[in-house]
Amino acid sequence: MARYRIGPERGLTLRQREAIWGYLFVALPMFGFVVFAAGPLIASIILSFAQWDLLRDPQWVGFDNWNSLLTLTVQHLPQEIDETTGEPLFLCAREKVPQSRAREMEGQIDPRTGGVIDCAPRYVRERDMLPQGYRTALEFSLLNRRYVIGSRDPVFWEGLYNTSYMLLGIPISLAIALLLAIALNQKIRGKAIYRMLYYLPVILPVAATSLIWMWIYNPEFGILNYALNELGIPVTSKWLQDRHAVKPALMIMGIWGGLGYQMLIFLAGLQGVPTHLYEAAKIDGAGVWARFRFVTWPGLTPTTFFLLVTGMIGGFQVFAQPYIMTAGGPYTSSTTVVMVIWRNAFRDLQMGYASAQAWVLGAVIMLITLVNFLLAKRWVYLETEGARA
Amino acid sequence: MSTLKSFPTASRSLTLGNRERELLIKLVSYLVLSIGAFTMLVPFFWMLSTSFKEPQGIFRMPPQWIPDPLTTENYVKIWEKTNLARGFVNSMVIAVVSTTGEIFTSTLAGYAFARIRFRGRNVIFALLLSTMMIPGVVTMIPGFILFKNLGWIDTWYPLIVPLLFGSSFAIFLCRQYFATLPEELADAGKVDGANQFQIYWSIFLPQAKPIIATLAVLGFIARWNDYLGPLIYVRSTDKFPIALMLTSLNTMYERQWTLLMAGAMVALLPIIILFVALQRYFIESIALTGIKG
Repeated sequence: MARYRIGPERGLTLRQREAIWGYLFVALPMFGFVVFAAGPLIASIILSFAQWDLLRDPQWVGFDNWNSLLTLTVQHLPQEIDETTGEPLFLCAREKVPQSRAREMEGQIDPRTGGVIDCAPRYVRERDMLPQGYRTALEFSLLNRRYVIGSRDPVFWEGLYNTSYMLLGIPISLAIALLLAIALNQKIRGKAIYRMLYYLPVILPVAATSLIWMWIYNPEFGILNYALNELGIPVTSKWLQDRHAVKPALMIMGIWGGLGYQMLIFLAGLQGVPTHLYEAAKIDGAGVWARFRFVTWPGLTPTTFFLLVTGMIGGFQVFAQPYIMTAGGPYTSSTTVVMVIWRNAFRDLQMGYASAQAWVLGAVIMLITLVNFLLAKRWVYLETEGARA
Repeated sequence: MSTLKSFPTASRSLTLGNRERELLIKLVSYLVLSIGAFTMLVPFFWMLSTSFKEPQGIFRMPPQWIPDPLTTENYVKIWEKTNLARGFVNSMVIAVVSTTGEIFTSTLAGYAFARIRFRGRNVIFALLLSTMMIPGVVTMIPGFILFKNLGWIDTWYPLIVPLLFGSSFAIFLCRQYFATLPEELADAGKVDGANQFQIYWSIFLPQAKPIIATLAVLGFIARWNDYLGPLIYVRSTDKFPIALMLTSLNTMYERQWTLLMAGAMVALLPIIILFVALQRYFIESIALTGIKG
């Protein structure tokens, strides 16, 4: 009976002894939590109020980092005025001309280039309108007026713009993934093979797939331009070396790399849509489209939302692909936010300023994540319901 | 009949019967899936075919899909004349050590959260989970400063040590898994007077093979593919993991696409083999958690 003895043993109850084991088992993760998560999190807030290059002692600068980062100014750009006549100035064929002359020139043939002359209002230069220390972050027109947004850190905002631009690939990707998932959800053969093929790019090292896509996008000998020309679409785009094509090019690669994951999640979502609803819709005479619109799609909205949110969280942190493929170029056209932060921190050693930048991005991501967690219950609920059905 | 009218019944206008319609849907599905699969595979074909070409073979127009002449010279060169093999071994060591540690600590903690009663258990668990919400970019800079002060720059420690303390994601999965196992399992051990570690080690851990396999696969792939981490912490070429080694070859052998594609193939191969062999665990883990590897 001694072996079954329950109760005090060496002064501790069984319950207490169990608890000690519990604390021991979670000690390592708790230590990791303090040192690698909570500590750095607090440290990065403190750092964002300092200037520190890791060589000298950190300087406390108060809100300076935050001010340079976040202060924006919006200025109206007036049209330039001819000083002698007071007429507004236009730009025709790279020539500054008054309005009266512009009316004559518009639509004429340019003797130098042979093209039709196009006139546009000539605005005051942005840097003349922006306060000291500010540079152009964005220029836009609203209600026929020209505006400029100035920032003391235009590179960061451009990085944020580039990154957000590339997020547009997500809805496109989701639409394709949904189509594939619906196709895969039919009674067809070789499901496992298809699933595998589509999923493969998701788990492959970005370093390797980036090299492959660089070679695909190669303007002279790459397969893409060759294939497009063969299909009768004459393309001379230099893709990654073209500042207008580089973002779409990276988006296409991103879609290729994420499609399989989205498809599998959609497939799980589809299997969670109760079959009796389909039967009911069929009896009611609903066609293919109606069944999709009124049964499938409502059942998939939590899934779609989940994918949208996780896709955005990942998308905001894109780094390796543009870093390897374009180094952020041409100019700054494919520089992402994380690249801007990385450069400030590890190349220019501006640890404090980079921390403030990281927090701006982090706040955006955390907000999205929070919404995701709050709505995750709905998505998990559908999952388990489907398993039971 | 009123319910009929509430649906825009496109199918009514078609004269197809039910069976024909189903056949049509099937056909369209095959078509969509095949075109998609082909498009997904083209980059791999392109890589494979380039990697077996002679250096001047890539300038030929139209491009050859099956190289003629076919050569394995690129693979020999990338393996023997460059540091890629070194990177391969480095990545293996980093991935195996860090993932083993991650799994040991995470199963232990997951077991405690699921099966041991102690005060504050749920609070601690919630705290650990909350770290999943912190984007890596925020803790990246203080992490660097910490490891710099420890003198760990240009070592593998920053890539391995944090994982030895477990990861929230793995702990979460383990807890969920251990919570589903029947309580009677532990009774045998308790009767024998075994302590909690013995119960964990000899009774519960052997039951956890599926979740361990899933975590092993996901962990290995995450470490093998990691780019930003090594880029920040590892400086000397001979310590580069394979991802960094591959892109450093890109600057060294710029435009030598036959060689670079052979290199890419070498970097992909372990992952492809792992994936094909252990497919089941991937698909399960995704369906379970919705988190990619």
